Amino acid sequence: MILSPAERAYLYESLVQKPAIRPGARSDHQFRPLEAKTGFLPNSNGSARIRLNDGSECIISVKSKVVVTRGESSLIEVDIDVPGFRDDSNFVSNLKFSLTNLLITKFPVEYLRLTSKYSFKLFIDCIVISHSSYPLSLISLTSYLALKTTRLPLLTSEVNDEEIEEQPTFSDDWDNAKYIHPTFQPPIFITLGVIGENLLFDPSIEEEQVLENGLILSFYKDKVITPIINMNLATNSNNSNFKGLNQKLIIQSINLCNKYCPAIIKALDTLIEQDDENDDTDNHIF
Amino acid sequence: MSRMELYSPEGLRIDGRRWNELRRFESRINTHPNSCDGSSYVEQGNTKVICMVQGPMEPSSRSQADSAGATIEVNLSVASFSTFERKKRSKSEKRMVEMKATLERTFQQSVMCHLYPRTLISIDIHVLAQDGGLLASMANAVTLALIDAGVAMYDYVSCISVGLHDQTPLLDLNGLEEQDISTLTIGVIGKTEKLALLMLEDKMPLDHLESTLGIAIAATHRIRDLMDDEVRKHGNLRSSKLAKN
Repeated sequence: MILSPAERAYLYESLVQKPAIRPGARSDHQFRPLEAKTGFLPNSNGSARIRLNDGSECIISVKSKVVVTRGESSLIEVDIDVPGFRDDSNFVSNLKFSLTNLLITKFPVEYLRLTSKYSFKLFIDCIVISHSSYPLSLISLTSYLALKTTRLPLLTSEVNDEEIEEQPTFSDDWDNAKYIHPTFQPPIFITLGVIGENLLFDPSIEEEQVLENGLILSFYKDKVITPIINMNLATNSNNSNFKGLNQKLIIQSINLCNKYCPAIIKALDTLIEQDDENDDTDNHIF
Repeated sequence: MSRMELYSPEGLRIDGRRWNELRRFESRINTHPNSCDGSSYVEQGNTKVICMVQGPMEPSSRSQADSAGATIEVNLSVASFSTFERKKRSKSEKRMVEMKATLERTFQQSVMCHLYPRTLISIDIHVLAQDGGLLASMANAVTLALIDAGVAMYDYVSCISVGLHDQTPLLDLNGLEEQDISTLTIGVIGKTEKLALLMLEDKMPLDHLESTLGIAIAATHRIRDLMDDEVRKHGNLRSSKLAKN
């Protein structure tokens, strides 16, 4: 239990107001401030770190490997490590399934094709160093940054190797490495809290304790896509306010996300650009 | 024997260092001010380690409460992307368990545990990249994080790895060198010659041990100075902020 009954009641009352009064003076559609850094792991093809102001932090590395396309069931493998939770616990496997599922269904695999026989396989490894609120949206925003900054070596051999027995060869020069695709935008997850008639973006841990329901929407190519998940975001305590979900609010949440999420994507893209400019001078994680 | 020449007749190693040269050592403290009591980040060459300390705090289970002093618990997690070839590592791997136990024993002795009876000091270590000298970097990171957490210690525990190539001791081995020559990791308390940590995973001829230890101890004193610089730099930064308010 994080909050006392009195605190819960107070927070609940302020959040059901129209407009909601959120702790931290955020508006309904405002995210918590975050700081991020990309490209700090020289051993990985792409890396990113996001830290929220409450101390939640996630580090993601993207590594690639050349594989025979026919032998692989999927070209993307996601692994999530949360200290204090076993790898086979419900919490970790839910996070892992959600992210894997989203990436596998929406990732344009043709970008990973090298030749008619070979492809790149991407290994996306996440470490959630610490977290307070439900970390799925934090992980997915970090994976957005990591995938956007992933650079793969340039293929120098023939693309069509149907007839010839040849393994792909690559340019030795890392400066020739290419991003996955210039227009590629990885899908992301956005968490929304439902309380009364209000929909709150990115609920903090205190807000999660009093929410009536939680929604996780996925967003790709400027619009909301499936899966849309509803769940109790307060995973570490039983939430007595938890209720069923009004259908109208689902439609409303989709509209809200369509309206505000492009701004999130734009902010992340700006962040990458700024990081690119400083890249030569500063490769440090902190 | 490997195909690579680890130590050329001219006295140069594969990364261009001389036998007695350290790799780039960089450290930061208080890197995670909002999520734990003390934190640090250490880069020793291409080895990168994050360390976070919680405590001294009330232990979650009675069995961890020792009425004579604090219990120190180390959680080690080595990322699967930390080596060039991605490899998933389990926590129960023999080498990991041994390193964890070594660190726990070292810091149980170096922290003034008797000042914190019935408490738990929990240390989380995340290895982001490894290129030799893993245990040394971890111990250095733990020292810095404990200082940041304000836990009383007798002095810095500064650590370094050293190898023996034929008759020459080589200081602060990188990953390639570590694969081929026997490596000794030592941890020294402050500017003394007292060893708090000593780990040798293979064999080393006894007649060369003294010279090897000698250079290693000198190196740990240098590492201690580098860590002290960072701590003082951070301290000045904090006190300047206090003065403004």
